[in-house]
Amino acid sequence: MARKTVLAICAALLAVAAPPACAQEGGGAQGGRGGRGGGGRGASTRVFLGLGPVPDAEAAKKGEPLYKQNCETCHGEKAHGAQGPSLVRSVVVLHDDKGEGIGAVIRSGRPEAGMPAFSSLSADDVYDIAEYLHQQVELAANRGTYNSTYAGLRSEITGDPKRGEAFFNGEGGCAKCHAVSGDLAKIADKYPQAASLQSRFLWPSTPGPVQAKVTTASGETVTGTIRSLTDFDVSLVDAAGDYHYWPRAAVKVEVEDPLAGHRALLPKYSDAEIHDLTAYLETLK
Amino acid sequence: MRRLVLLLLVAAGAACAQGLDMTALTLFRQPKDLWPTYNGDYSGRRFSELDQVKQSNVDQLKIDWMYRITSVGPQRGVGGPTIKSTPLMVDGILYFTIPDHIFAVNARTGEQLWQYNFEDQGGHLVGQRGVGMYREWLYFETPDGWFISLNAQTGKERWRKKVADEKLQYFTTMSPLVVKNHILVGVGGDAMDVRGFLESRDPETGDLQWRWYTTPEKMGDPGSETWPNLEAMHHGGGMTWLPGTYDPDLNLIYWGTGNANPVYAGQSRKGSNLWTASIVALDPDTGKLVWWFQASPHDTHDWDNVETPVLFNAVIDGKPRKLLGQASRSGWFFVLDRTDGKNLVSKPYAGTGNWALGVDAKGQPIPNPAKEPKPDGSMIDMPSGGATNWPPPSYDPQTELFYFNGTEAYSTTYVYDTSDHPEGYSGGAGGTFDPRSALFAMDIRTGAIRWKHEHRPGGRGGVSGGVLTTAGKLLFTGDSGDLVAFDPADGKPIWHQRLPLPVSNGPSTYMLDGHQYIIAAGGDTLYALRLAGE
Repeated sequence: MARKTVLAICAALLAVAAPPACAQEGGGAQGGRGGRGGGGRGASTRVFLGLGPVPDAEAAKKGEPLYKQNCETCHGEKAHGAQGPSLVRSVVVLHDDKGEGIGAVIRSGRPEAGMPAFSSLSADDVYDIAEYLHQQVELAANRGTYNSTYAGLRSEITGDPKRGEAFFNGEGGCAKCHAVSGDLAKIADKYPQAASLQSRFLWPSTPGPVQAKVTTASGETVTGTIRSLTDFDVSLVDAAGDYHYWPRAAVKVEVEDPLAGHRALLPKYSDAEIHDLTAYLETLK
Repeated sequence: MRRLVLLLLVAAGAACAQGLDMTALTLFRQPKDLWPTYNGDYSGRRFSELDQVKQSNVDQLKIDWMYRITSVGPQRGVGGPTIKSTPLMVDGILYFTIPDHIFAVNARTGEQLWQYNFEDQGGHLVGQRGVGMYREWLYFETPDGWFISLNAQTGKERWRKKVADEKLQYFTTMSPLVVKNHILVGVGGDAMDVRGFLESRDPETGDLQWRWYTTPEKMGDPGSETWPNLEAMHHGGGMTWLPGTYDPDLNLIYWGTGNANPVYAGQSRKGSNLWTASIVALDPDTGKLVWWFQASPHDTHDWDNVETPVLFNAVIDGKPRKLLGQASRSGWFFVLDRTDGKNLVSKPYAGTGNWALGVDAKGQPIPNPAKEPKPDGSMIDMPSGGATNWPPPSYDPQTELFYFNGTEAYSTTYVYDTSDHPEGYSGGAGGTFDPRSALFAMDIRTGAIRWKHEHRPGGRGGVSGGVLTTAGKLLFTGDSGDLVAFDPADGKPIWHQRLPLPVSNGPSTYMLDGHQYIIAAGGDTLYALRLAGE
């Protein structure tokens, strides 16, 4: 192995870190049931869920006032149910195609359940109401749409910016690596939803290639960018571009963890401190 | 010469095959030349008494053949085909699945014998756990709720029955469990607030024998006091999407039930929401509930409690006990008396269990209202999506340890629909930073973590797939993208085989022609390993 001078380079990265620290362990997400968390946004989640045809947005828009006028009293806001049943969970609605099944119920009513007939609604009106209902199903069932549907809620700030500022400069230790007039200047403009900004500092993405220092049995050290690191193998490329490989058991591997500061806060945060910090960062516009 | 003998054996097997001898299905002692159910036996221990492959010769364990799925492209919404099923091995034939497809291959060579293809009309293609077998018949569930019986020799469909409506967002992935003359079929689906159930169907006709709903039938019935009203109760979730286990002596089946619905919004379903997120014991002949234990009362974190309820016997305080252990998605490890559901051990294994305030008199965690999902986020010391999932665990009677792959992390959970009538998920969870996946070995008497093999960071993922233990003092699972054999006593890795894709199912084992085979899948490929030179 070539002996290389170790240069401890702390990469200047998006989420610049606490003092360079070394972690022997970490990383790695377990494969779960897959797709459960939504992951993608509306379109890809809809494909995964096998939802029916995409609702006709234009018709749904026309259907909304018709729904409010004729249906909302009994079936509730957004068709989620009131004294009448939820139509989002309705078997008729979920099996409906372009208003054919829904139309039959609207026109003849359900006298046994106390629903009158709405025979005066035109075929277009029925179609528009049906598409409005399909859109309400979409907004509930397709979790990939939530971030946009609930953008307002996700932008609400509940914390106290003054306490957040104190946490940033004090207990949180954020100011050791970050500067509100430097790397964090106007950070709130980059994340229009408070919830997204909150996620960004709680779960920063791994900043670029992983750097590590490998120490061999004879005491040689090689520093470079990790190519592969498993329980059995380690390989890296050093600053000169040379490739190195060792069986994992034969060497000591120290992985630089530029996110150690973020990691260390996770067990310490209270929910209030998280919300306060978000409120403070939201003032950086 | 060897090849000629094998050909003759295959021909003989095909000629006189009578299908699966139903006496092969036992609580603990599966026949050595079979893997006849999803878990190998009824206990779910995934412990094999085979010891041809052992610590002293495992370095000679080599891939004998592999079967790569090349006839199926990317599947809707999930990407390339991934084998999550545990193959059955009967009469020298392996049967395994991916969503919409069954493959039958020669267990001696990996040569395909037949392939069954289904065209779904909806449902989720998130996984397919495998087929069940009764005599010469196979049973299969499709993503869109069809329950299908096929001839095991030919792959020809015999009949199909609709068990769940994909338009209501049910989907079906389970490997049917065969108990006496009952084919037990479960369902999945929590995007649309449907009601979970487990069905028993006739092996010959597919007709319904009984259906047990995971929530009570009407207000006033036992359990209904844990729901505010009928509407919430009948849209309360509680899916049954993994095979359960069975004790023939007690004549009880044990099943895990999924999370309550709406998933992240609990305001319209105040109460503990029985029998969602629970372990239940049912009479397999009637579907009657005998006892229950709730792992995540009033769940608001998407913690399906479907993880295998593993049956084992052990001496506790000098007395032989019939026990049931589960590593729950809620991050807690439970040991119960499987005769009556009485709790022996309840202990968090992931984080501190800070979503709970403690346990109640039954040993069930008490959820902390302050840690329920909030509009501005609430942090828990649990990964988003829970601390373990479907990959099968194992119990090794030689070490008396319970093994599973789990994950530790932090996450924040949000509720978005704060109205009185939330629907569907109504919220979400985030937290992809710093997940620490590990192979856990649990002390069944104390719930303490005896040892833990944490994955190390790097380019290839963490621990993966299920766990198999054997009398050869080996524990097989996926780690770092490799198939790995650990020492079950102390967690030291002692052998590994690099695979192109990480282990994606529960490994299994059996004897064939005097060879012990280890079977494992990694993505689109099934691998058969045995000792070189045997």
